[in-house]
Amino acid sequence: MRPFAYRRPADARAAVEAALDAPRAMYLGGGTNLVDLMRLGVAEPDLLVDVAGLPYDTIRETGDGGLEIGGAVRNSDLAAHPAVRRDRPMLAQALLSAASGQIRNAATVAGNLLQRTRCAYFQDVSKPCNKRIPGSGCPAIEGDHYNLAILGHSAHCVATHPSDMAVALTAFGAAVHVEGPGGRREIGMPGLHRLPGDRPEVDTVLDPGDLITGLTVRPLPFAARSRYRKVRERASFAFALVSVAAALDVEDGTVRDCRVALGGVAHAPWRAERLEEALRGRPATEGSYAEAADAELDLAEPLRDNAYKIPLARKVIVRTLAELGG
Amino acid sequence: MTMTPAKVPRELDSPLDGGVGESRRRPDGTLKVTGEFAYSSDLWLEGMLWGVTLRSPHPRARIRSIDVSEALAHPGVEAVLTHEDVPGFKFYGLEHKDQPVLAIDQVRYQGEPVALVAADHPEVARRAAAKIKVDYEVLTPITDARRAAFDPDCEKVHEDGNVVRHQPVIFGGDVAEARAGADVIVSETFEVGIQDQAFLGPESGLAVPGEDGGVDLYVATQWMHSDLWQIAPCLGLPEEKVRMTMAGVGGAFGGREDLSMQIHAAMLAMRTGKPVKIVYNREESFFGHVHRHPARMRYEYGATRDGKLVFAEAEIILDGGAYASSTPNVVGNAASLGVGPYKIPSIRVDAYGVYTNNPPCGAMRGFGAVQACFAYESMMDRMAAALGLDPVTFRQINAAHPGDALATGQVLEHMAPLAEMLGRLKAMPMPPERDAAGHDLRELPGGVSNTTHGEGVRRGVGYGVGIKNICFSEGFDDYSTARVRLSIIGGEPTVLVHTSAAEVGQGLVTLKAQIARSELGVRRVTIAPADNQVGSAGSSSASRQSYMTGGAVKVACEAVRERMFKLFEERLGRPPASLAEAVEHLPEVLGDEVIDETREFHHHRTERMDPVTGQANSHTQLAICVHRAVVDVDVELGLVKVVELAAVQDVGKIMNPLSLEGQIHGGTAQGLGLALMEEIVVADGKVRNPSFTDYLIPTILDMPPMRLDILEYADPRAPYGLRGAGEPPTLSSTPAIVAAIRDASGLALTRVPVRPEHIAGSS
Ligand SMILES: Cc1cc2nc3c(=O)[nH]c(=O)nc-3n(C[C@H](O)[C@H](O)[C@H](O)COP(=O)(O)OP(=O)(O)OC[C@H]3O[C@@H](n4cnc5c(N)ncnc54)[C@H](O)[C@@H]3O)c2cc1C
Ligand code: SF4
Repeated sequence: MRPFAYRRPADARAAVEAALDAPRAMYLGGGTNLVDLMRLGVAEPDLLVDVAGLPYDTIRETGDGGLEIGGAVRNSDLAAHPAVRRDRPMLAQALLSAASGQIRNAATVAGNLLQRTRCAYFQDVSKPCNKRIPGSGCPAIEGDHYNLAILGHSAHCVATHPSDMAVALTAFGAAVHVEGPGGRREIGMPGLHRLPGDRPEVDTVLDPGDLITGLTVRPLPFAARSRYRKVRERASFAFALVSVAAALDVEDGTVRDCRVALGGVAHAPWRAERLEEALRGRPATEGSYAEAADAELDLAEPLRDNAYKIPLARKVIVRTLAELGG
Repeated sequence: MTMTPAKVPRELDSPLDGGVGESRRRPDGTLKVTGEFAYSSDLWLEGMLWGVTLRSPHPRARIRSIDVSEALAHPGVEAVLTHEDVPGFKFYGLEHKDQPVLAIDQVRYQGEPVALVAADHPEVARRAAAKIKVDYEVLTPITDARRAAFDPDCEKVHEDGNVVRHQPVIFGGDVAEARAGADVIVSETFEVGIQDQAFLGPESGLAVPGEDGGVDLYVATQWMHSDLWQIAPCLGLPEEKVRMTMAGVGGAFGGREDLSMQIHAAMLAMRTGKPVKIVYNREESFFGHVHRHPARMRYEYGATRDGKLVFAEAEIILDGGAYASSTPNVVGNAASLGVGPYKIPSIRVDAYGVYTNNPPCGAMRGFGAVQACFAYESMMDRMAAALGLDPVTFRQINAAHPGDALATGQVLEHMAPLAEMLGRLKAMPMPPERDAAGHDLRELPGGVSNTTHGEGVRRGVGYGVGIKNICFSEGFDDYSTARVRLSIIGGEPTVLVHTSAAEVGQGLVTLKAQIARSELGVRRVTIAPADNQVGSAGSSSASRQSYMTGGAVKVACEAVRERMFKLFEERLGRPPASLAEAVEHLPEVLGDEVIDETREFHHHRTERMDPVTGQANSHTQLAICVHRAVVDVDVELGLVKVVELAAVQDVGKIMNPLSLEGQIHGGTAQGLGLALMEEIVVADGKVRNPSFTDYLIPTILDMPPMRLDILEYADPRAPYGLRGAGEPPTLSSTPAIVAAIRDASGLALTRVPVRPEHIAGSS
């Protein structure tokens, strides 16, 4: 590990200013991802600005049924909040399907959104990787990629985004609050995470020094009928091969509205817009779900060893929707 | 637990609690659960230095030069060492001394130690290590074990060729002739991935330089004397100047049979004159010990229509990686146990252990018998299906029984008949059918991931049989040593039991005390720390310590008892009426005197395998475990929930029911890991998943409840009639689980671990 300085500012503004002091400053949330990457030599900050203790650590219900979630809220606390469990089960389920109890107690919402890919080459500093060292190449394309992307990847990077929570937030179309050197702004999800294109080293649209202070999850009345399903290699404590967050609004056997996002398939949590479009107004039957899933998965371009993710995603989508619509 | 009566009568009826046969609490149990147990990584001395190992990033490269000057100049650094600094012999190894203490002119696997640094802080040492300049000429690694073994054009990992050992086994009539007489022939190629021991306590220890020029080593190991015999020559020291003390071991499973940081820490301590501690982190630990050999196995079986096997042919290729470690003996097991405990008139097995530039492989629980077991049990199911027979019936028809010979000609003796074990297994009650409504998510495939509420889920049942050798084999004159000391302390008779045997979590400390209590009738028993001030105890491996060190403690106690009785007679003028009486009078009889006896215990001799036919009585004892697995498979998503595992195992004598059940549960869980998730993924000689985030081991949510039926068919040659029990369950659980998944999914599944993609990808 490289030597680094450590600061603990009192508020968001001071944090942003502190981060501008050093060329390789990074914010530190719960540290459950960043510290691991520092140990591996993947992240080499010269300054850690600890933002886990900043005052934006509360969850507030807005009058209209929405939620304001502070960036420093712990994953466990968000999952346990009654307004999440009751009105947005897919978000609670996504959070609880991730990592372990101990890690969720330490991990922050902002850190969760910005956790980095689990691609094995990215984590191994002895290998080339365009995401770690731009222009060095992507060994995963020819190498080990059975758990990498089938959608939206590029010739430069085929990594996936590992967060479960972000998949549910993407289905909700949450808005991310950012405090940056140039002031405050809001970024909608999807939209925070980028597709790799020819700049896979850039995960998100955030600029240096941008601090995530919180999220708004706007009201979505039918989200009480939502689910998160995650396929993984052991019963707990493993990342997703494929996951689905879905909310469904069915009236008289017809799909009035829906929200669907996929995890484990792309460089960003993947909002299934084509699927949603294909499903709205259709009868709530397995046949429509399968057709709608295909509308989305037709975009898939599997790699040599991960084509299994297409039928897997289709089955999880159909199952999840069937459960919600049934 | 049901028990058949032990065939060996208990020699002494001890009136005491805590003797042989009881469930005793482990002295280390509470400490470990509460986090107070001192592991080797907790060792600490004021003023000690920290050692760090620089490892090769390449699986195969020539080293043109190593420049340590910048590292040496780094403030806080006290020593930087390379192979040139090894004081004595520069190579070590369990069976072949082929592994350099530090790489000499070339590296043969990713992670091979190249240089050492000692500094006043671990981070300083790490930074200094990063400043060592190693000029590598990177070469293409040799990674295909089959090619390495058979292609004469393949480059060599070591000068003397890539085949570490080829062991054929030829039994009975000619296979070609038998093939002609078979009604049904099935063949298949199987693969087993690299499993890791995944012990929780990483390699660590402390070396303290002695005033006599020697060194004191505090290390967590499986066999202190085998360490010593390798360490002393490399340090250029006589054995008596290398004093070894066992530090708290955080699990082993075979992964601590080979040396890791021992010589390195000692070299740094001797060079700096200061104590040096080395602790690997989790990632380094994956490179710091050998793994289970991955295997590629081609099998062909023939049978008659009425269900009798007529021949078996197998080629087993075990990739040993860059250094020999225990590959020769792993090959011996794979060959001799390669077709399992079945009566087959014609057998031909060829087992090969091969050098490659993949990670070095060696000992792991089940030692060479695990890989073949997956293959032969899969073949038994295949053949049963081809013949339209029930898999249990087919196994019963072909089961080898006491009096029958294995492939090596060795005759099974003093053990439960396999057909009966299978009958008992099949008769055990089945777990209830899945309850469609109101089920707990944790009981479904995918568990709390909420992937199914019953859709796509199919139940399957599978059986597995495994046979494992207990104790060392192939002519090795194995022994263990125990010293037992009886004295009066504070007016109370007290026994001290001293051995060098490693407590690696299996519960040997508890068992040694139980034996001493039973044999000597003394309540207060203390277990001395394990060190090399007493003779070798052999390794805590091969399921052998209850047999060997248990045996040594027993014979040492018998010698003490004899003297105790003699003293009684001398002092009181008559022999004691009972053990209890002798103990009661001990304070007056013994006074200040001490009875101190040291004994070695050897098992009966075994033979080397014939190099051409493999025929021999090569094994000391054989043990069988059989498993039934019931699984629910989400055949659409490829997720497996093991609903229940049932096992029948013959242990000869139940020494401690609680410990025994723990061993069977644990071994079974490790077999479940191999069946479903555990694999070190290697590509081009490089490890892809050296972390517990990416190398998956089963959690409590993956492991189902177990139903056990433990049998006691005593082996009269073994102490108390016991049969080693730690490894057999590791063998048979894997094929049973895979058979159950096949039953549910209809897929062939010829490779373990079976992953979701293998099931979901094919439907
Ligand atoms: C063993 C293990 C298993 C896991 N399994 C899963 C899983 O199954 N599913 C899953 O979704 N996740 C999983 N995780 C990942 C876990 O969810 C993340 O590590 C965690 O959410 C990160 O949060 P943190 O607060 O600790 O972030 P940190 O590690 O502190 O930071 C992560 C990144 O976010 C940046 N950052 C932190 N806070 C801010 C802020 N306020 N503004 C801007 N940038 C910020 C940091 O600079 C850093 O780049 C697992 C992790 C581990 C170690
Ligand atoms: S997929 Fe992306 S992260 Fe992985 S090696 Fe390629 S560039 Fe790096």
